[in-house]
Amino acid sequence: MSTRTKAEKMKNIIEVKSLEFEYKEYDENGEEIGSNKVLRGIDLSVPKGQFLAVLGHNGCGKSTLAQHLNGILTASSGKVLINGIDASDEERVFDIRQIVGMVFQNPDNQLVATVVEEDVAFALENLGVPPEEIRKRVDVALRLVDMYEYREHSPHQLSGGQKQRVAIAGILAMRPECIVLDEPTAMLDPKGRAEVMSTVKLLNSQGVTIVLITHYMDEAVQADRVVVMDSGKIIADGTPKEIFGQVDMLREHSLDVPQVTELMYELHRSGLDVPVNVLTEQECAEELLKLPHKAAYKAGPSAGKPEKSADIPFIAEVKNLTYKYSVGTPFESTAVDNVSVSIAKGQFVGVIGHTGSGKSTLIQHLNGLLKPTDGKVYIAGRDIWAKGSDIRSVRFMSGLVFQYSEYQLFEETVYKDIAYGPTNMGLPEDEIDRRVRKAAEAMGIDGELLKRSPFDLSGGQKRRVALAGVIAMQPEVLILDEPAAGLDPKGRDMVLDEISEYHRSSGTTILLVSHSMEDIVKYAEKILVMNRGRLFCYEDTDTVFSRTKELEQVGLGIPQISRLSHILAKSGMDIGNDIYTTERAKERILEITDA
Amino acid sequence: MLNDITIGQFFPGNSVIHRMDSRFKIVLDIIYVVMLFVAQNFYGLGIACIFMVMVYAASGISFRLILKSIKPVLAIIIFTALLNLLFVKGDDAPLIDTGFITIYAKGAETSIFMIVRIIFLIIGMSLLTYTTSPIVLTDAIESLLSPLKKVHFPVHELAMMMTIALRFIPTLIEELNKIMMAQKARGAALDTGNVFSRAKAMVPILIPLFISAFKRANELATAMECRCYKGGEGRTKLRQLKATQLDLYASGITLCTLGFVIIDNIVF
Repeated sequence: MSTRTKAEKMKNIIEVKSLEFEYKEYDENGEEIGSNKVLRGIDLSVPKGQFLAVLGHNGCGKSTLAQHLNGILTASSGKVLINGIDASDEERVFDIRQIVGMVFQNPDNQLVATVVEEDVAFALENLGVPPEEIRKRVDVALRLVDMYEYREHSPHQLSGGQKQRVAIAGILAMRPECIVLDEPTAMLDPKGRAEVMSTVKLLNSQGVTIVLITHYMDEAVQADRVVVMDSGKIIADGTPKEIFGQVDMLREHSLDVPQVTELMYELHRSGLDVPVNVLTEQECAEELLKLPHKAAYKAGPSAGKPEKSADIPFIAEVKNLTYKYSVGTPFESTAVDNVSVSIAKGQFVGVIGHTGSGKSTLIQHLNGLLKPTDGKVYIAGRDIWAKGSDIRSVRFMSGLVFQYSEYQLFEETVYKDIAYGPTNMGLPEDEIDRRVRKAAEAMGIDGELLKRSPFDLSGGQKRRVALAGVIAMQPEVLILDEPAAGLDPKGRDMVLDEISEYHRSSGTTILLVSHSMEDIVKYAEKILVMNRGRLFCYEDTDTVFSRTKELEQVGLGIPQISRLSHILAKSGMDIGNDIYTTERAKERILEITDA
Repeated sequence: MLNDITIGQFFPGNSVIHRMDSRFKIVLDIIYVVMLFVAQNFYGLGIACIFMVMVYAASGISFRLILKSIKPVLAIIIFTALLNLLFVKGDDAPLIDTGFITIYAKGAETSIFMIVRIIFLIIGMSLLTYTTSPIVLTDAIESLLSPLKKVHFPVHELAMMMTIALRFIPTLIEELNKIMMAQKARGAALDTGNVFSRAKAMVPILIPLFISAFKRANELATAMECRCYKGGEGRTKLRQLKATQLDLYASGITLCTLGFVIIDNIVF
């Protein structure tokens, strides 16, 4: 059923008419010093039952738009009608909020109660629903999101995906007709994302209208309709196929396209007769198989990079490392189990593994934040826990940047914050100055920003300042835990490109921990895979990807383009088992189809 | 360090003590405390102690947990005991007299009396939190204080604040650990140096923690608004507090015990 016929049958639940919104900016004395127009004339109708995805980079106004849909913000001009009710009508605000529920990005910051079922009951308690009725509706909502067994748990015992499902249940208990989700999966691991998405799709199939704000294209392609926003305006509106066919437009607005769409676009540009608007690997495979092709590509002489000579010293080594949490209590658990790995100097290593695989525990050992229960850790050949070893000097040699590292910023100015590490090292003033400027430059922070407060910056800028703070210590090994988590595609690319550039120019050994296989394969020479506390493998990227089946078995997502190559191989079009980037897939397909 | 604190930790169960109405539990616990302080001699104290021992037996809470609840206040207990031992003077001849230290029989007696009193005070309070979940406790306090609403005391707001605090304590502890690790990775020296340099080293930890807490508060407020929060007026509750016969029996027993203690005071 196409969107159009659906729209004709049902009336619109959301009507936005030339909506404008501006923030007034005030100075310290409360004088108005200007205004910031966030929304500039939005027109949008959402029919009942539709699954609408909203795309756009950070700061494009999509969250502001969302907060107009249930009266959290009120329009500067224009109108928002929910089932015909004006959303700015203060007397009807609780009616509006029951019709349109909101789920936010951070799962922790929207749960109020200390017990799951009480949290789900929160809205109903506020509305004065009788206790017996609350009980019934809470149970129904919890069953819908598949969290009924956890009803007596406390939120902090749950995973991110579970918390987010509880948040959705808290909204569902109000029996809303529409749920607006503002980047609900941005802070979740792949498993949590999948849980939330399947919940969202289930609700939509039961007739709940969904407005999903997201940066993930694989989520947007599942929608009935996609709206793209930039600078407070809607710039494109159509079915996922219509939108993702416009690769140039999306790139111009710094958005991603699914890998297979990108591949088809590139093949089309190289002169192959393929449609551009494919979204899934199945569709893509079908189209490619229509082309006249050979059964398999001819592998050239070993394309692998020449073996690095063996005399490159190891910079970071762990030997028989075991780490147990809460030793001697009933909660004792082994996070890392007898892992040995040696990382050569100057390498760019990707570290993957799902949540709880022990990868975070492993990297925290590499700069001495955790002390091994058993085994040894060597940095630059030095046993870091040997008697007389100064653990602080180890931390300067191997810099660790945590997830959501912007949380560590605290100084008045960006400059001072970056200088914190070097100052702790006891360096002379002029050396500190030199390093701060160099690190800032490496992370793309221009001199102007150094004088600003770190708290005035955008999310992506803050992240880069935090990274610069560790880079300024000029560690031999730089360990980055999910440096791009929660950023929009543009911010993500910028951070990762700067890191890669820094790797090239400085020769620093890099360990990049990420859930995103796509990000890892773009940059890493070698990949370290952790599974259930053990080292699953540590190999060249090509070698690891020749084992994609095994990776999938241990629950790791593999790039869409690799899945495509598997489907093709099964249907008699073998482009090799080492496909993980669109560039390589494109080359092989061009070769095999004699274009 | 922060994981060692057991006061305020709830151990789910289904004993008679667990099943009691939490409002009664609070009030009866207060009566028990009164009992401990009313008791003027070892007989009275003994009655109160036997009462608590029996209540503990009924609750099914393990002996190890009782010991654990005393651990954090051990220093206070020892200090009080020493103070009484050394400075309470009796009329009769001292038990020990070294010239420097004089200990009277009365001092030793008072000292033991105080030790028993403090220990039983602590384990009595711990029993309440061991057998009552924090959320039910909050409900009970809200319910008990509700008459104060008439004089415009913000009872609901207070209870809401307690709930949110309970909800976010684990989250903020986790966050604190994360920030400490991050600053340590940047070379922060948190556990070396004198008092001043240590206090100074806390700045890079506390500022990010506060900023994050404010951000959380802000987001939570919006999320609460989205779920139609408008204060305590007209609010209902999923969990209803209900007094049963059990609570009547428990009240009867506790009041009788208090009676015995008072009689004991009059008689001896």
